[in-house]
Amino acid sequence: MKRWQPVSVLSDIRRGEVAGVRIGGREVVLWREDAPTPTLHAWEDRCPHRGMRLSFGFVRDDALGCLYHGWQFGGGARCRLIPAHPQVRVPASIHVQAYGVREHAGLAWVSMDGAEDFPAEGTGPGNVLPVRTLHVNAPVGVLRHVTGIAPDAGIAWHGPVGLAVHEPAAGQAMLHVVRVAAAQDVSPLALSRWAERLRDAVESGAATAAVMNELAAGERA
Amino acid sequence: MSAAMVLYDWTPDVRCYAVRLGLSLMGMTYEVRAVDMDLPMAQRPAGLRPGERPPLLVAGGVRLSRPGAIMPFIARQPGVARAWLDPAHEWAILDWLDFGAAALDTMAAARDIAFGTTLPVLPPMGALAAALRRMEDHMSARAMEGHDWFASPAASIADVVLFVTFALTVDLGVERDTCPALRRWARRMRGLPGFMVMPGVPDYA
Repeated sequence: MKRWQPVSVLSDIRRGEVAGVRIGGREVVLWREDAPTPTLHAWEDRCPHRGMRLSFGFVRDDALGCLYHGWQFGGGARCRLIPAHPQVRVPASIHVQAYGVREHAGLAWVSMDGAEDFPAEGTGPGNVLPVRTLHVNAPVGVLRHVTGIAPDAGIAWHGPVGLAVHEPAAGQAMLHVVRVAAAQDVSPLALSRWAERLRDAVESGAATAAVMNELAAGERA
Repeated sequence: MSAAMVLYDWTPDVRCYAVRLGLSLMGMTYEVRAVDMDLPMAQRPAGLRPGERPPLLVAGGVRLSRPGAIMPFIARQPGVARAWLDPAHEWAILDWLDFGAAALDTMAAARDIAFGTTLPVLPPMGALAAALRRMEDHMSARAMEGHDWFASPAASIADVVLFVTFALTVDLGVERDTCPALRRWARRMRGLPGFMVMPGVPDYA
């Protein structure tokens, strides 16, 4: 099934930054160009040269450089500079596996299986701000059930608060929390503390209904 | 003339790295006596007394072995920027320093288990995972309040010790994507003048 997965809040991947994420046990590097209109990229987290994780690398303008030998990969995921051989015109076959990536609802969404359409586009509230991504030591299915994310939906809205999850590796989950910008009464800090309570309840196997009810009742402090 | 400060240093030891990093960030000059704890006693530097092990910082009549004591001692030396132990945030800094020093001990013990075996065995991670989570939650909140560092407006000695704990948990299988707030903070640490690495702590990432 072709699908889009929310993998990070956008505040964790700002201009000129690089960050590794895992999606279903596969390593993916997210990086944003250091340019006036900084495009976000999602690639396989592996340099084709020596297999080094590209998430250990560095962003230079609109390219990602590998930490090992400085090979530079441009926006098209093609290698465009090998510093040890600066005169060489790099063959097109030297490239990184690129995945589909979209920015929507304060989150970075990745498709690893070549999904073309992005069904979430234009749906849900506009002007959404990222709050936080948390690691939860529990199966992703448990968290989807608790947060009320429908099987075919990427995100569940509870009033002005959006919750999304993805599976970094089997048995683990990442919980992504976003909020509608216009909801002034929703403090990011209180929302972050609430998410910690939900995480702790899920991990310890305690009842989660009371925690979720706090969200419905607007008692996020 | 001998240097005012002498560090008995064992390169791969994580507490020694914390002390080297602190000395470097705070711009101290010191003399190093390299120690290899894998060698017999007779081949270790004569200045190291029986029972003493690196890190050991000797300055005047003072002999300090614990990062939690060495850091404030360095921060109070003349010429060191006050911000490392900012008097306005001293208690918060010392509180996180103590937390970090305890977490560093836990991490050192876990590394000894992980690296001391002939098979790749992961040690029990419960205490360390709990410490990292407390750090992650704290730095998430700090970021939302507009702060960049653990306990004060600028980098402090608490950040130094906490950084070493976080950076070397990579060797124990802690994936970086589980700690996004700490990853951002660690990147900031790497950008400080005088930042230095040790084996297991890459220059970047």
